[in-house]
Amino acid sequence: MTENDFNRRDFLKVLGWGGTAVALSGCGNTSIQDGQETVTSYVTLPSYVIPSISNYFNSTCAQCEAGCNIMGRVREGRVLKAEGNPNSPINRGRMCGLGLSGVQAHYNPDRVRQPLLKGEAIAWDKALGVIADKLNGVKGAEVAFLTGNMSGHVQALLGNYMDELGSKNHFSYEAISPAVLRAANKKAYGVSMPRYRIDKARVVVSFGADFLGAWVSPVHFSQQYAQFRKGNRPEGRGVLVQIEPKMTLTGANADRWIAVRPGSEGVLALGIINALGKAGLAIPADIAAASKAYTTERVSSETDVSAEQIEKLAALLKERTPSLVLAGSAAEGYAHGSQNAAAIALLNRVLGNVGKTVEASASVPFPQIAPTVGNRASLVSLNDGLAAGKYKVVFSYGVNPVFSAPAALKFKDNYAKADFKVAFAQYLDETAQAADLVLPLDSAMEDWATVVPEYMVTPEGAGSAAYAQMSFRQPLMDKLYPDTRGIGDILLALLKQRKADKYKEFDDFYAYLRSAVLKNKVALGGKATDDDDAFWDETLSKGFLPMKGIAGTVSAKASASDLKLPSAAADRDYPLRLIPSISASMRDGRNANEPWLQESPDPLTTIVWDSWVEINPKTAAKLGIVEGDIVEVTSRSGTIRTQAYLFPGIHPDAVSVPVGYGHEAMGRYAKGVGANVFAMLDAVFDKETGELALNETGVKISKTGQRVLIVKEEGPVGGSQAGKKKIAVQVAADKVDLSKEV
Amino acid sequence: MQHILRLFILLVGLFAGTGSYAADAAPKLTTPDDLGPQIEQPIEFPHFRHAGDAKDGGMQINCMYCHTYARRSMVAGIPPVQKCIGCHQSIESVRDKPRIQKLFEYWDAKKPIPWKKVHDLPDFVRFNHERHIQRFYFQQDRPYQEVCGYCHGNVKAMTVAQRQKPLTMGWCASCHQKDHPVSANSTETGHGPNDCFTCHK
Ligand code: SF4
Repeated sequence: MTENDFNRRDFLKVLGWGGTAVALSGCGNTSIQDGQETVTSYVTLPSYVIPSISNYFNSTCAQCEAGCNIMGRVREGRVLKAEGNPNSPINRGRMCGLGLSGVQAHYNPDRVRQPLLKGEAIAWDKALGVIADKLNGVKGAEVAFLTGNMSGHVQALLGNYMDELGSKNHFSYEAISPAVLRAANKKAYGVSMPRYRIDKARVVVSFGADFLGAWVSPVHFSQQYAQFRKGNRPEGRGVLVQIEPKMTLTGANADRWIAVRPGSEGVLALGIINALGKAGLAIPADIAAASKAYTTERVSSETDVSAEQIEKLAALLKERTPSLVLAGSAAEGYAHGSQNAAAIALLNRVLGNVGKTVEASASVPFPQIAPTVGNRASLVSLNDGLAAGKYKVVFSYGVNPVFSAPAALKFKDNYAKADFKVAFAQYLDETAQAADLVLPLDSAMEDWATVVPEYMVTPEGAGSAAYAQMSFRQPLMDKLYPDTRGIGDILLALLKQRKADKYKEFDDFYAYLRSAVLKNKVALGGKATDDDDAFWDETLSKGFLPMKGIAGTVSAKASASDLKLPSAAADRDYPLRLIPSISASMRDGRNANEPWLQESPDPLTTIVWDSWVEINPKTAAKLGIVEGDIVEVTSRSGTIRTQAYLFPGIHPDAVSVPVGYGHEAMGRYAKGVGANVFAMLDAVFDKETGELALNETGVKISKTGQRVLIVKEEGPVGGSQAGKKKIAVQVAADKVDLSKEV
Repeated sequence: MQHILRLFILLVGLFAGTGSYAADAAPKLTTPDDLGPQIEQPIEFPHFRHAGDAKDGGMQINCMYCHTYARRSMVAGIPPVQKCIGCHQSIESVRDKPRIQKLFEYWDAKKPIPWKKVHDLPDFVRFNHERHIQRFYFQQDRPYQEVCGYCHGNVKAMTVAQRQKPLTMGWCASCHQKDHPVSANSTETGHGPNDCFTCHK
C-alpha cells in the first residue's frame, strides 16, 4: 500500500455513510420547494392560450435558402420547437435537422444584445445618428450594401433605401451557391432554376448534386426521392446513380456510387453521350460531332471510370425513360465548371428529359420582391472595389465574408480600407468584429418578413406552372432582449432619416408589410371584396400565399458548340485536389454556433465537434498516414491542421475537408472548433461566370507527428472493412447488373 | 489508525456540509408534519369566502370556475387578474377592503400578482390535473370539493398558506393502489396506473 493509503474501499465506505446521512436527514420528507417559486398569473389572457397546452403558429424557416414553411410550437409565450407546415408545397410538413436547430439560433446566449460602436454599447438613437453622420457628404457610388440571398419586402425596402442613397452597389453573396449551375441552366433550358422532377424519373444520374443533403431545397427533394423509391408507382422503383469524387449523403443512398477523377465530370458526360450513340440512341448531329472524340477508352482513362461502367450507364439511361441528369456543386467547382455543367445538361437534351423531368418554373410577378440570389462573383467585385478604395461606407447583412471569402482574396484587409463599416448581425461573427458599428438583429423567431424562395415548387393541377409562392415569417414569441431590432425596422428607420414624409404612415415594418400585402390582395389570391383584417389574419395563419406567377417555358437549347473540356494537368507540388465538402448541417458555417449541429454526427464519418480531412486509404498508405494523425494540409494560399480520417468514399487523387468550421469569433460553440478551409482556397475562378472554383485548390499533406483519438460515433468494430482479410464477397459491386436492379 | 482519523474528519465534514446547507435555506424546505412551510402570499386570498358552504357565509363557487384549466390541461391554472376584476368591479360592498384594494392596484398597474407556489412537484414528476378531474368529476360524478380535496385538502375552509397533503411519491402511490369505482353507475373497480413512466417522463 502506498504511503497515503486512503484506499478506494475506505472511500466507498465514506460515500456509503454520507449517503445514509443524506437519506436520514430527508427521512419521510420531500424536497419540494414550496414557497420558493412564484406562479405568476396572466393579467389578461389571450383567448387562445391554455396554460400547458401548445399553440402552433405558422412561419418560415430561416436556416437555409430553401424557405420551408414551418409551424412553431409555442407554450406560455415561448417557442419550444419548430415543425414542418403540413400544407406547404415545399416541405409538406417535414423539416431537416438544420431547420430544427433554428430555436438554438433564437435562444443562443451569444447573441448581440445592444448596438456596439467600436465595441462600446450605445443607444439605438445614437447608432442611427452615427450612420446619418457618416453618410453625410458621401456620394451614392461610395456606399456599398452586402447581403446574402434576399427576397420579399425587406428587399423592397432595401431597394428603396439604395435608391434614396443614389447607390447601385447592392452586392449579394453566398459562399455556397449553385451560381454556375444557374448560368448553365439558363443557356441550356432558358431558365436558371427549372423544376427538377425526381419523382417522375425512372433513373436519376446525379453528378455531385447532394439533393438529400445540402443542395438547393433538400427537404423538398427528399420527399420527391421517397416517391422515386416506391416500388408500386407506375414507373417502378427508380434507380439512383451518383457520380462524384467525394461521397455525399446522396451518394451514400445511391444504388451505384461512382468515384470520378475530380474535374472530369464533363468528360464523363460526353463519354456517356458517345456510348449512348453507339448503343443506338439518336443523337442530334451537333452533339454527336462534339462527343465523337470521347471514346469510351479515352474517357475511361481520363475519368478513372471503367469502360464497362460507362457502357452500363449508357444502357441504363437508354432503357429507362424518362430519366433525370443533375449537375451539382461537385461538378461546378472548377475553372471549367460552366463547361462541365453544360456538358451534363446535354445529356438531358439527348435523353429527351427537358419538359418531362426538367420542368418550367414560374417567375415572380413583382420584381422588387423576387429573390436576389447570391454568388461569389459579386463578392469578388465588392472586394476589388474595396481594394481600390472605392467604398467609404459599407453595410453588411446576413453574410460573413471575413470568414468565408477565400484566403487569396485578402478580403479582411480590403474590408478594413472602408472608412465606416456597419454590420447588421445576430452574432459577433468575424465580419461584425471587423466592423465599426454592429447593430443587433432580432432572431428569425422574433422578426417579421416575407420570403419568396428561389426554388418554388410546382404543385400538381391546372395552371400550376404559373404558381409562385410568398411565405410569411411572423414572430413566434416576444423579443428575448429589448434592444434587438428587425432588419425591416432598421431599414425603415434609415429611410425615415432621409424621406421622413414618404414613410411617416408606417410606424414600423409590420405596418409597412401589412399595407404592402393588402394593396396587392387580388394578385395574392384574395378577392377585392375580402375584408382586410380577415384576409390578413387568414394569410398569417396559413403561413404562405400563392401568387399568380408568370408562366415560364423550358426549351432544349443545350448546345455543344463551344464546349471545351481541358484534361486535368498534374500539379507536381500540390498533387492532391482539395474538395471542400458541404455538409447538410454546417453548410457555409453561419449556423456553427448552434450546438446541436456541432454535435450531430456527420452522416458519413460520424465525427462530431471538429474538422477532419478525408483521405482515401490507398493514398494514406502511400503517405504513411493512419486515422487520427494530425496533418497539415497546405495549398498555395494557406495551411490548416486537422485530424486525418481514412475514408474509402473518396477518389485517391482528392482529399476533402468540410466547410463551416474554424471560426475565430461568433460564439462559444463555434469559436476554435475545427479548421477553416476557406482560409486556404486559391483564387481560381470559373472562366465564364467568374464564380470561385471551389474545388480547384491543389494541396499537399504532411504529418505533424501528433495523433489524436477521433471523436466519432462509429465504433472500432465493423466500422471499416477496408484492410480486413477473409471477407467473402458474394457479388462484387462492379459485377452487379444495374439495369436489372430495382 | 491514521486513516480512521482521516475518515472521521471526512465524515464530520460531510455532516457539517449537509447541516449548513439545510440551515442556509429559507424558508425551511421540510417541516416535521410533512406539509411544507407556511407561505405568505401577496394577497391573502379567502378561499373560504369564494368556495365555502353557504351556511358558513361562502358562495359555493365551483373550483373550476377560477381554476378553469384543471379539466382540460395538465395544470389547473391561476386565474388571470382580469377574471378577479370581472366580478369585483361590480361588487361595491367589498371595494374598500384592503385585499380588494390591493387587487385593484395590480390591475391598474397591469401587473400580474406574484403568487407563491404552495403545491410544487419536482421537475421530474409530471402530474396531470385533466386526467384526475375527468375521471373523478366527470366520469364518476363525485362532488368537485371532494375531488379537488383529495390532494388539496378542505380548501373551502381556508386561505391556502400551506400544503395539506404530503404529495410524496409514496402518498400518490397509496392512492393509486386503492380500488376505485370505474364510473358512477357501475360496481366495477380499478387501480390507478402504477408504471414509473406514468409520472416520470
Ligand atoms: S431545408 Fe431545412 S434549413 Fe432549409 S429551409 Fe427547409 S427546414 Fe429550414
